[in-house]
Amino acid sequence: MIRLAASETLIPAPNIEYYELSPILIVFGVGVLAVLVEAFLPRAHRLHAQLALCLTGLVAAFVVVCTLTDEAQENARAVPQKVAAEGAVAIDGMTLFLQGTILLLGVVAVLLLAERRLGGEFAASAATVPGSAAEKETTRLGWVQTEIYPLLMFSIGGMLIFPAANDLLLMFVALEVLSLPLYLLCGLARRRRLLSQEAALKYFLLGAFSSAFFLYGIALLYGYAGSVRLSDINAAVSGSEDNDALLLIGMALLAVGLLFKVGAVPFHAWTPDVYQGAPTPVTAFMAAATKVAAFGALLRVFYVGLGGAKWDWHPMFWGVAMVTMLFGSLVALVQTDVKRMLAYSSIAHAGFILVGLVATNAEGLSATMFYLLAYGFSTIAAFAIISLVRDGSGEATHLSQWAGLGRRSPVVAGMFALLLLAFAGIPLTSGFTAKFAVFSASASAGGTPLIVVGVLSSTVAAFFYIRVIVLMFFSAPVTDGPRVAVPSLTTALAVWIGVAVTVFLGVLPQPVLDLADNASFLIS
Amino acid sequence: MGNTSNGEAVLFWILAPITVLAALAVVGSKKAVHSALWMAMVMVNLAMFFAVQSAPFLAVAQVVVYTGAVMILFLFVLMLIGVDSSDSLVETIRGQRIAAMLAGIGFGVLMIAGIGNASVDDFNGLTAANSAQGGNVEGLAALIFTRYVFAFEAIGALLITAALGAMVLAHREEIGEKLNQKALSIQRFKDGGIVTPLPAPGVYARHNAVDMPALLPDGTASELSVSPVLRARGDVLEPDDSVAAEASQRAQLGKGSSS
Amino acid sequence: MNPANYLYLSALLFTIGAAGVLMRRNAIIVFMCVELMLNAANLTFVTFARQHGNLEGQIIALFVMVVAAAEVVVGLAIIVTMQRTRRSASVDDAHLLKY
Repeated sequence: MIRLAASETLIPAPNIEYYELSPILIVFGVGVLAVLVEAFLPRAHRLHAQLALCLTGLVAAFVVVCTLTDEAQENARAVPQKVAAEGAVAIDGMTLFLQGTILLLGVVAVLLLAERRLGGEFAASAATVPGSAAEKETTRLGWVQTEIYPLLMFSIGGMLIFPAANDLLLMFVALEVLSLPLYLLCGLARRRRLLSQEAALKYFLLGAFSSAFFLYGIALLYGYAGSVRLSDINAAVSGSEDNDALLLIGMALLAVGLLFKVGAVPFHAWTPDVYQGAPTPVTAFMAAATKVAAFGALLRVFYVGLGGAKWDWHPMFWGVAMVTMLFGSLVALVQTDVKRMLAYSSIAHAGFILVGLVATNAEGLSATMFYLLAYGFSTIAAFAIISLVRDGSGEATHLSQWAGLGRRSPVVAGMFALLLLAFAGIPLTSGFTAKFAVFSASASAGGTPLIVVGVLSSTVAAFFYIRVIVLMFFSAPVTDGPRVAVPSLTTALAVWIGVAVTVFLGVLPQPVLDLADNASFLIS
Repeated sequence: MGNTSNGEAVLFWILAPITVLAALAVVGSKKAVHSALWMAMVMVNLAMFFAVQSAPFLAVAQVVVYTGAVMILFLFVLMLIGVDSSDSLVETIRGQRIAAMLAGIGFGVLMIAGIGNASVDDFNGLTAANSAQGGNVEGLAALIFTRYVFAFEAIGALLITAALGAMVLAHREEIGEKLNQKALSIQRFKDGGIVTPLPAPGVYARHNAVDMPALLPDGTASELSVSPVLRARGDVLEPDDSVAAEASQRAQLGKGSSS
Repeated sequence: MNPANYLYLSALLFTIGAAGVLMRRNAIIVFMCVELMLNAANLTFVTFARQHGNLEGQIIALFVMVVAAAEVVVGLAIIVTMQRTRRSASVDDAHLLKY
């Protein structure tokens, strides 16, 4: 027995709001269970157990998010507002909206990861050397690297914390929790493994580099405010005038780390390579969910923590948004690989979302959240379709191979065309609603030059999306070109969900727009 | 508490230049192993800076975690990959180094000017904070388990991820039956090649080391007797010089005895 | 001596690390330079903790150490895997990615 001396003080037990935090805790718990499944279940049962576990967990977490939103609406306020876990996690409208979005995208991603009929996208055993006898043997035995499911769950868990983090330390930890599994997942492709591993290494090194900048930014802001809690930083920013240099440099470095995750110019260099090299389901998940989480964090830091210094960071984001939109659209024009083209298009979209962010009003916040939801589902479905177009050696991603695809498989090509139209922002698709919301929010905040640039680059972007559609439907099919493989139910479901959401948000956007409006509320 | 004690000032002005030089050496060393050793030096120096800045727990953690675990892991991997491996991640871009150096200098000037501009003169010192809970470690514990408890929990996910990732990428499961010694030796004869142990490196009167190949009966050097790593590094001696020297010496000795 | 000198030192170390990341082409050395940057950030945290007289900075530095350890494991695992792949027969397409 150790007896405490009378003079020693006891640490008061922390107050943890388990109910409000349960979406995060469920996802992490499922991740841990999934690791145990790997350890104790025989190989033959692992895949199904993992699928059941992950889908159940994600859906359960989503249900909790819904009830949390619902309960709050019953009480007078439109959104919940609570700071949980000793003030480290902010549970507010934006958190719940983005957590719901991430969980739904996670469900779709699990469905994509589960594709088995096409031989799977992941290496049978990632530790075997490519081309070795062991690799052939594991492939022949039909092994599956089922560790991808716990990794995905941990990544989703990190993404759930990232937009909710109310202090910069938790945000840094969440950034790493969401990134490390993604680095690993990028390197696990089944075919062209060296390309995939190179993508993983490149993503890892650049990601670590950018998170070092993020960390130094936190250090300088800590020096400025004496605390890393966003409310304290906000108080320091609005309270005093001195020490400006620490604030400015810290803010800029923080933005570097976050803009890297978002894939905005000039921190976009990793995007095309990683999107191209990673297994397509991982690319789909990364393109959709990482953007949601990272924009959530960006919104929270700059609206809640640094809102008082708006006039310092506002011009920077203006510039970044403009350059990102133009650069992404222009470079996408000259791409010959479908995955790379979508990568540059995702850079351009990051620019459009930033337009919503720089509006710095409730409208902008709600438009940004709506855009993230709409873009997430369209992009995850688009990458899913890419994984279906195959020839003898796997995915056929070269654009020339897609010529005449619309004649051979009109349904799939039609769906891809619809998604491209959504990316271009054509009416009756989710892309139009989203762009309209973002631009109108920007207009009310006096962002006319941004809108001009935005419309201009939308036009450029529309040109190359329509070029692909023309190529698919109106040019002669290449001989021995790729064909559309018949996927298993899970992938088909993922594609249909993505397409359905894209159409729904284009035709009947109002309920979701209202939801986003109600949720456009931040606490500190 | 605007100023530090004289002892701390002396320590700083001795260690800071060493730290900067070591950091420069990390960046500038040709061989990765040298970089790793310089890095260890930077880390130990930082541990001393932590110790004098009333962070004794961090100083110990810095030595144990960084120097003890992280750098050793780096060295392990360097040994695993082997010194003959040359890996360049990025392709050479013309003028990249100059551009990087200029960017670095610009960034550094900006940072230092920024810190100089900021008023960071009034240092409160940690005496009060460290004694509030009874000591530095107790103070840290109080913060970890209250204000930062959620980050502390979330870090568990990070550690599981790291362990899982290392397993996925590095752990090879056995397929089929494991071969026993008999089967292995039969396999070795079937495959042909060398069934005996490799010849030992040359042992001569003048040169007794692993970088000297052994001589075959016909007087030529045996490739198998030295490690391919040494050969790749270009550190292997030629036996001819040594043999020639020995022969001439023997001849001289012979002359001496006859006269 | 003014304790702000520690801040100058850490800024210098951070800059050296960042320049190293941009200059070197060996993945392991690049990674070490990133570690140097993280270490520099830790020194900043500890110094600011002393300035403000609270222990938050030290806590953050402790967390950074744990994060860095996890990051090192993952990073080195990726590097080792790639090295193994490069050495095997399929080295033909070593630089598949553009840039």
